[in-house]
Amino acid sequence: MADAVMARTELDPSCPGNWLDDGYERLLAMSWRDAEEVQLKVLRRRFEELKDSVAALERLAKREGVTKVDSLEDALPLLFDHRVYKSYPISLIENRDIAKLNSWLGRLTTHDLSKVDLTGIQTIDAWLDRLDEFGMLIGHSTGTTGKLSFIPRSRTEYHAFRACHNEASRASSGVNPWNDPIETFFPGYRGGHQMALKMLFLFNIDAAGGPEHYHTLYPGNISADLMSLAGRMQAAEDRGELEKLGLDPALLKAREEMIAQGKRREQDIEAFFFTLFEKFRGKRVKIGGTFGDLIRTARTGIEKGYKPEFGPGSFIATGGGMKGFKDPPEDWEGYVKDYFGIERVSMVYGMSEGTGFAPRCSEKYFHIMPHTMPVLFDRDMNMLPRVGTQTGRFAFFDPMAETYWGGFISGDQVTINWEEDCPCGWKGPRVGPVITRFAEMEGGDDKISCAGTAQAYNEFMDFVSQV
Amino acid sequence: MTDIYSIPIIARGRIIEPGEDAVEYQGRGGARFRTPDPHKHIHDLVLGNPVLLHDLMDTPVHEIVDFLAEVGKRLRLEDNAYLQESFALALQAGGLAEPILRGVYDDLPRMFDPDAMSALIDKSVGIDYLDGWVPGDGAYANCRVRAVGTRQLHITAGNVPVVAALTIVRGALTKSDVLIKAPSNDPLTANAICRSLIDIDAGHPVTKHVAVAYWKGGDEEMDRQIVRVSRIDKITAWGGMSSVKHIQKFLTPGIDLTALNPKYSMSVIGKEALESEEAMAEAATGIAVISGFYNQTACANTRIVYVESETDDASLQKVVQLGHKVVEAFNKLPQEISTPVEKRNHDLEAEMAAVALEDDFYHVEGNTLTGGVVVSKFSDRVDFYDQLNNRVVNIVPMPNLLEVAKWCDDTTQTVGVYPESLRETLLDPFALAGVQRLVSLTGGDAMQLFHDMHTLPPGMPHDGIEPLRRNVRWVIDQRAPDNVVPMAIAAE
Repeated sequence: MADAVMARTELDPSCPGNWLDDGYERLLAMSWRDAEEVQLKVLRRRFEELKDSVAALERLAKREGVTKVDSLEDALPLLFDHRVYKSYPISLIENRDIAKLNSWLGRLTTHDLSKVDLTGIQTIDAWLDRLDEFGMLIGHSTGTTGKLSFIPRSRTEYHAFRACHNEASRASSGVNPWNDPIETFFPGYRGGHQMALKMLFLFNIDAAGGPEHYHTLYPGNISADLMSLAGRMQAAEDRGELEKLGLDPALLKAREEMIAQGKRREQDIEAFFFTLFEKFRGKRVKIGGTFGDLIRTARTGIEKGYKPEFGPGSFIATGGGMKGFKDPPEDWEGYVKDYFGIERVSMVYGMSEGTGFAPRCSEKYFHIMPHTMPVLFDRDMNMLPRVGTQTGRFAFFDPMAETYWGGFISGDQVTINWEEDCPCGWKGPRVGPVITRFAEMEGGDDKISCAGTAQAYNEFMDFVSQV
Repeated sequence: MTDIYSIPIIARGRIIEPGEDAVEYQGRGGARFRTPDPHKHIHDLVLGNPVLLHDLMDTPVHEIVDFLAEVGKRLRLEDNAYLQESFALALQAGGLAEPILRGVYDDLPRMFDPDAMSALIDKSVGIDYLDGWVPGDGAYANCRVRAVGTRQLHITAGNVPVVAALTIVRGALTKSDVLIKAPSNDPLTANAICRSLIDIDAGHPVTKHVAVAYWKGGDEEMDRQIVRVSRIDKITAWGGMSSVKHIQKFLTPGIDLTALNPKYSMSVIGKEALESEEAMAEAATGIAVISGFYNQTACANTRIVYVESETDDASLQKVVQLGHKVVEAFNKLPQEISTPVEKRNHDLEAEMAAVALEDDFYHVEGNTLTGGVVVSKFSDRVDFYDQLNNRVVNIVPMPNLLEVAKWCDDTTQTVGVYPESLRETLLDPFALAGVQRLVSLTGGDAMQLFHDMHTLPPGMPHDGIEPLRRNVRWVIDQRAPDNVVPMAIAAE
């Protein structure tokens, strides 16, 4: 039986991290139904391996009464909510109680973090640096809600992580990041521990052909400390008690610079792009940035009469939605393509919590490869059948997570077509084209109540989250 | 679930039913409703000419009170068809369980009690000032002052339907013209009351100065049409930060905004509560009542409970015990005060589930159907404190309760206190920090506690302000020093 499965899918259940080693093509030529049995084997094994060594999973399994996983359904109660990756008390960050934070994180991974030497560590960034040296690859979220999630990835997953990133990028852009370097512009920070930036730093500098070919708006890294303390610092500043927080003066200075930088950001991006337009006129390039960055640049460019001109094979790599960008053009993609004179817009669908990425096809759908097991839920958290077209809350198991639990339920609402009849020719469940946030909206969009429930709006965080 | 309710616009004594031009809205809980297109009825909603308020100005307060009292007699759920309809929709939409909602509706006539209304308006504004020009003392008798009615827009909250009644009563007592923008989670209560006004006397000045309509929150076109100095003098905005912030966009000098913005309330419990079984049970009942009444949908409901305690294991064990008793107490609350709910709060449960994995930091008990607690094992509230709902409270040990003041601000409306001896130490610092009201949690009798915390003398401040005083215009008639109006005329 095992042999028959192997022959049909050619996926080795013992090492999902290598599934992409021969390229994305064979995975996107494979029906998800044929991969299911192998995926289940991996899921079963992962649960066996991790149920006693990842404390948070052990606790959850115990609470849910799950002792073994034989089917996808068995594992559904074990999906981690995004809150699990930030279930530490915020006061640990405020008091820089790194030891407690470290032991909290230790409950999410098989790595023994009690062995990490925390001597002299005063900041979150220094802690994450130290964890990287130890062999971790922790990525944190943008903390839009004022609290950072920490995803406990490690070097063990590095091979798979890089393959996922590069192959999804190759599938969606047509340019091979492994051996075909391309001049890259990214209007943001150069790196940092925020997951997306960390990933770009880890993989895109090589893909660009070296640091001198990877151009970023800011030369420095985003600071986890600033992002995690932003809300607290703002509150303290409002009370005139910022100095009472006892923060490193360098951090306070960095905050001021970041605020000033944030105010200049739109002009800086313009200048950044317009300089590059001249310097790399006629060259083949890859342009990154949010939808908003690209639209704004195009608008100003048209206004000022700056017209870029790039070589064939250039592409735009973007994602992340409009994030509050006001009044985008109806066909924003066409608008941006026209302006930049670039035909290809590469996008992938993925998230910090998952190793896999779904590349977007020519029909604008994101195809999920077998190294991600997607699940959709309705509002009452019932699993939606995996047939036809379904819309619900997106969750998945990540078979590539070896040292942490890869079951995750996201806050995205997506539509998945399970029928594998996309005109583009790729197989796999396809997502999209629209991805929205899953919110408990049950009609009555202006329900008013006198009890406070909404998060206070924080302009500083809003700015910071646009990395 | 797919009923469509017709919601007419009430326009100063007239009922405008949804006709050809009706628009349909999605309400809460699957209900839908149709109303006449409010964009086409702007002039039915606003009073463009403020001098038209003279009819109400000339009506003595006692006549207004008599009329309202007559209305109050008709506001009995059992024989008022309008209220029955509004009750049915509120039940479907508002999130309050049937016995609680019934209790709230049963209370409506009480809000129209003539003695209480007279006392309310006399304490807060002064009947003399509403009915006539009141001369100054002695040498200043040439200066007279009068409280004059205004044109008010009320963006009401729907979580507790009394807001609709309160608004109509307050508007009439201040001799003001009131436009009520009904909320989607209670689109009919104000309507039902106004239809009862019309039934009694469609031509009464009170009836002729109330308009009720629903339009979508954030409808800029509507707000731009209505919120103009020429049409509105005062706005009272209840609830959601977004509704308050939205309306601020249209404010100009000359329009006064009273923002009754969202509140988080809390309780503080002294160490005495942990010293005996009896004290613990008494405190737990108090916490359950103040957190659980109206199923924690109101601003006065406690969401966080700070308990005077150290954070060592032995002390924490007692705090956890108190938490356990609170969960038990939720389940013993009389159903007129609080009930289990039918629908889970998925977001909150996810938060609870996530911190439940962290034994070192939190102890979690209960759920969002029957109520629960999250006990912090250190001196800080949970990060999701602003999502606490469905009778779930966060219990936080604090070695020094004075420290709690750092979490108090304008949004801290009501603080429950146990035992009473704690009050003296906390009262002044809390008042300075922003707290608007302290109530007692002592006694152990749920019904009595509920009754007591809802019994205030007439005309008390609300959310730290005096809305009625603020909603009239104080006008001066300053005459030449020798032109003093004879007392007989002044008193007329």
